[in-house]
Amino acid sequence: MKNKLTKLLIIIMMITVSGIANSRDDFEDAMMKARKNLTEASEKSDVALLKKARGQFERILQLKKDPWLVNYYIALADYSLSMTGSASNDPKTIKQYTESGMATLQKSIDLNPEFSESYILMKALNFNRWQYEQEKMQEIISATDAADKEASRLEPENPRYILLNGISNYWMPEAFGGGASKAIPDLEKSLELFSKRKEKSELYPEWGKDLAYGYLAMALTKRNDDGDMTKAKEMLDEGMKLFPGSGFISEYAMGEYKKAGSK
Amino acid sequence: MQRISTNYKPPKEGLTLMKLLLICFLCLSGSLYAQSGDSATSSVLTKISGIVKGDKDSLINGANIVIEGTIDGATTDEKGFYEFETVQTGSKNIIITAIGYAENIMMIDIEGGKEMNINIKLKKDEVKTEEILVTASSYTSGTNAAVTLTPLEIVRIPGADADLYRAITTFPGSNQVNEGSRITVRGGDPDEVLTVLDLASLYNPFIFDETFNVSAYSTINPWGLKGINFTSGGFSAKYGNALSAVLDLKSFDMPQGSGMFAWLGLANASLSGVYLSKGGQFGGTFSASKIILGPYFAINGEYSEYSPIPQSNQIGGTFSYKLGTSSNIKAYANYSDDKVGIRNASPTYDGYYESSSNSYFGNVKLITGLDNNTVLNAGISLSRYDRDYNYGVIESDQIDTYAKGRVDITKQISNKIELNTGVEYEYDGYDLNGIFPQYQYNIRPGAQSFGIDTTQSSGRAGIYAETQIKPSDNFFIIPGLRSDYHTLSGNFSFDPRLSFGYRISENNIIRGALGYYHQYPGIENYLRAAENDLDAQNAIHYILGYEYNTGGPILFRVEGYYKDYGNLVLTDPVNFLYTSEGEGNVKGVDVFFKAKIKNKFTGWISYAYSDSKRKQYEATQLVPANYDITHNLSVVGSFNATDQLVLGAAFKVSTGKPYTPVTGSEFVKLQEAYKPIYAEINSGRFPTYSTLDMNAQYIFSLFGKFAVGVIAVNNIFNKKNLYNYTYNADYSQRIEVYSNNRRSFYAGLGLQL
Repeated sequence: MKNKLTKLLIIIMMITVSGIANSRDDFEDAMMKARKNLTEASEKSDVALLKKARGQFERILQLKKDPWLVNYYIALADYSLSMTGSASNDPKTIKQYTESGMATLQKSIDLNPEFSESYILMKALNFNRWQYEQEKMQEIISATDAADKEASRLEPENPRYILLNGISNYWMPEAFGGGASKAIPDLEKSLELFSKRKEKSELYPEWGKDLAYGYLAMALTKRNDDGDMTKAKEMLDEGMKLFPGSGFISEYAMGEYKKAGSK
Repeated sequence: MQRISTNYKPPKEGLTLMKLLLICFLCLSGSLYAQSGDSATSSVLTKISGIVKGDKDSLINGANIVIEGTIDGATTDEKGFYEFETVQTGSKNIIITAIGYAENIMMIDIEGGKEMNINIKLKKDEVKTEEILVTASSYTSGTNAAVTLTPLEIVRIPGADADLYRAITTFPGSNQVNEGSRITVRGGDPDEVLTVLDLASLYNPFIFDETFNVSAYSTINPWGLKGINFTSGGFSAKYGNALSAVLDLKSFDMPQGSGMFAWLGLANASLSGVYLSKGGQFGGTFSASKIILGPYFAINGEYSEYSPIPQSNQIGGTFSYKLGTSSNIKAYANYSDDKVGIRNASPTYDGYYESSSNSYFGNVKLITGLDNNTVLNAGISLSRYDRDYNYGVIESDQIDTYAKGRVDITKQISNKIELNTGVEYEYDGYDLNGIFPQYQYNIRPGAQSFGIDTTQSSGRAGIYAETQIKPSDNFFIIPGLRSDYHTLSGNFSFDPRLSFGYRISENNIIRGALGYYHQYPGIENYLRAAENDLDAQNAIHYILGYEYNTGGPILFRVEGYYKDYGNLVLTDPVNFLYTSEGEGNVKGVDVFFKAKIKNKFTGWISYAYSDSKRKQYEATQLVPANYDITHNLSVVGSFNATDQLVLGAAFKVSTGKPYTPVTGSEFVKLQEAYKPIYAEINSGRFPTYSTLDMNAQYIFSLFGKFAVGVIAVNNIFNKKNLYNYTYNADYSQRIEVYSNNRRSFYAGLGLQL
């Protein structure tokens, strides 16, 4: 009897575990596919593909697993979509997706307030607000600062946090304390941290490394002193090798490099 | 499963264990089954496709369609088209979402293998309904698209000197009093404008108020406000004891972050800070400022003789604590003082008009959700305003004390109906002590005078209820009723009010308001009334307006109004006591046009025409009201030259205000002074007032912190606007007293710490 009971338990356990495992696989598979699509769409800045990837994550919410992480990715898709509005100088699109992204990301933070990536993305989304509601200057500064502090508190060595600081410095004119030279240490540190980084879960975000290569190359190009162009080219080559589909490196950053070289 | 249960025959205990295990298994497998979808799937794929449309059949790109509980679905393309395949069969819910649209859930029957075409229509989110809820004559800040004023605009309006009240005077219908922060609205008196901050009434949020030829400034920090609602007429039944207008201010319940900000300018210095605890459980703010005019006068010169030069201090702060998910308590305290001596030559005295004041204000406000649809706001406040002034024989010390308790309840009965109701009690204490001239025309030191030492107090209890009804997304109506009881006069007042708005088409809205408004005369008036017999002054507001609003770049409003006043305070010509026999009316048109061109330019033009007549105080017939400004035009523009540099300009021009001319004089031997003989009250007018102000703001990084630099030039053309007329000793010569707000340069630097 004992044997029979043990067998029965094993069968039940196997069925149960395999059911749970299958369910997790569905979620993980769907997440991995959606994230791959989002990465590709972001690299190409393709609005239609970005919307499709966003929709995939929205549908994954129906599985009711780790909704905080799914919402994070929806917000990340919104951020990428807002950046397409930025590139085409379309404040309506920037606003629409920035606000949607912030609202969705807040849902994620409410469910998991200890995920540093959420605050990094929140900071980036708040930066966007300068492009359409400068009049809320105080609110934007407060929100950006709050997100920055929380990101720094939770994970000061997160490469995406450092990268964002580097990008921010890159765009800020030298007269205001920014500039390409100021950006280089953060961009270099970010690349170093990316190379050492191993995410706690394969589902966690992995964006940014291509941006670090591209921005570092551009910052080195802009620095315009001896040896920079060579190192910039190294960064571009390395970046293109690792991220062959990245339009940011192959088109934008390379374009800036070529422009500087032709001068 | 079935085979195991039938073939096995265990003992009783074993059977119990088996049953338990089977139940567990059934439960687990059931829950897994439920997670994977619903009751039915098949191996046959079913194709589902269709088009998703929005308002006016617009095609929605990026809408998401999903079968509930599964990941089966698709995203629409630029033609609104979607297509996907599923193994699901039977009755299923599909969920359709799109940014800016309300979620739609539809039930469909899927027959395995049978292709389905489902076209879907989505409705816009409810945002539009909020926009239309802006009532007539309102200028608001907040998050909806009807926003007309933001804190940044306030600090950027040239000539407004970062002062909320001055900023408001660039909107139609309101005017500055003596170029200061006191405002008059649609020809009414300044004390007919009620300022409310977080349920508390603010009666003296100013420094240098009622001081000779020194402009008043507000003590309210615009950055601390999350909501500004200025209503120049037809306002809600929740506001009592105000005849003309309401400025309703809401501060942040909780600070938005932590940080400090320091400001150093040619005329002032300030330090402010906010703190928010981790998790947002509690927070606090503080601000301290000092007006230091030495450097300012050194650069701009002095147009009057001062002793002492204007000086002021202010300190305040808040403390907020989150009591629960929907409860918050906030305490607010503020102190300010000012002091100035300014030389003035009057017919009988040439000397310094010395004035000083100090003001205390405290408020505690509680907000709590009673249930999912009901919110309670309660507040108590206390303020004390002590003002002294001396000029010639005059020595005055006046203390005003106000206390207020208020409870408001808002209940969302349905998505179409909201009920607002509340009660309030306000205490008003008045204490006047001093020496005053027996005859107004003789104020020289030693002139015949009398002493006053009087104390009076009054209370007012108010109750109101109003319902906000939205029969459709395009129409709202707000009927309301309030009643007040005044303890000093023993009189009741009843105010039925109605406000409505109708959206004719997407960008075109009509708004209107009609209602009774009462305000009890200031407590000092009762000292001259027989047995406190003064009724509440009343006004009937009639307002109708049209708005064109694209929800961003263009906003245009035109509004006509008529107000009929009754029971105004009037002097009885026989016994010189005050009565409630006064009357008046005002009619006018306000026009407002605001444009925003991308992120580069924001500007507005406002024009107001007004004709305000009153028979009030000493008038014997309807005459122009004290603040009857016939034409008033403001043009304001702000241009973002670069991401860091913002340039602004503001031009204001208005009809001069009425005054009562002196036509002659007679010598009164006993007083050794001339007594003026006046023409009809308010039968003269000051010359046209105008000013052009410009400023520039530069945002940059200093020591790695956010910094802003400001330079401003007010009254660029150095227009000598008239402050008042004075006369020589026998009134044979009229002498202009010009405003001290001449061309002036200001520079300041702010730094985030």
